[in-house]
Amino acid sequence: MEQSFILAAADKSILKIAGVQVRGLNTRELEERLSRRLHTLVRVIGVTGEKIEMDVYGIDPEQVRRDRDGVLRALSLTEGVTASDLCQMSVSEKIVEVDIRDVPDRPYEGCGKERWMRF
Amino acid sequence: MNRITIIPTGDEILDGTVRDLDSPMVLSELLRLWPQACAVRAAPAADSLPAILAALEAAQAEGTDLAILIGGSGGGHRFSPTLGKDFSHSAMDVFLQTGSAREIYGKNGHLWCRLVCGLRDSMLLINLPGPYVEAQAAITAFLAAIQSTADPSALVDAMAEAVFAQYPCGSAEPL
Repeated sequence: MEQSFILAAADKSILKIAGVQVRGLNTRELEERLSRRLHTLVRVIGVTGEKIEMDVYGIDPEQVRRDRDGVLRALSLTEGVTASDLCQMSVSEKIVEVDIRDVPDRPYEGCGKERWMRF
Repeated sequence: MNRITIIPTGDEILDGTVRDLDSPMVLSELLRLWPQACAVRAAPAADSLPAILAALEAAQAEGTDLAILIGGSGGGHRFSPTLGKDFSHSAMDVFLQTGSAREIYGKNGHLWCRLVCGLRDSMLLINLPGPYVEAQAAITAFLAAIQSTADPSALVDAMAEAVFAQYPCGSAEPL
């Protein structure tokens, strides 16, 4: 297969919400509500029945942490998710830039950790 | 295109944890260009290589001209243990006889999105990212491009450019 590779130089953090009940989640609505709330781009990247994981682009993670109540309010208004007092929010630090030589120049196979160890 | 099959993937779509918003949007876009087509949404394929391969093989057996696989375009569990297991890439690599792929990596070295366009016999297969906005950008770009070319490389270039434009970053840096 003919392949080529593109590098996206965007900052992002991972926002995780745990301890929620998810059923029939409208991911588009959630992305729109959080994007409006945080004034930045948000993408839902992983969902289970109890947890939602999102990419949040180009914003200081501390800003997200400071607006915990606003984030959870936006979440609780979204179709398909029920937030309780027990739900937990965590935000990772911004992604760390790696050396461009560590970005694969061939089709990606296997485990990421093994790739960094250059097996 | 006379027969089109949309194949959503993912356990969270299959069990209803997440509503499948992409398939209706994709169907609507397809019918804009090919109103005469018989376009069907297959049952969602679970996050497993055999399930996705079976869905692709069933689509081909039914005489599909264009198959569209939705979801699993990122690195998934290979980069983050808390993300779902994505097998769309490996299924397409096994299934396709010829094709082109574009991989978009973040500056952290993680695979953010891999887009593929290829052929098995006469069936054209493309994939779309799961996030609605990215899926919409990719299918719109594909439909615009296919009106002037059938070259998988040119088609996937158009899709990759459209998805890349959804990220808040500067111009593309081909590696």
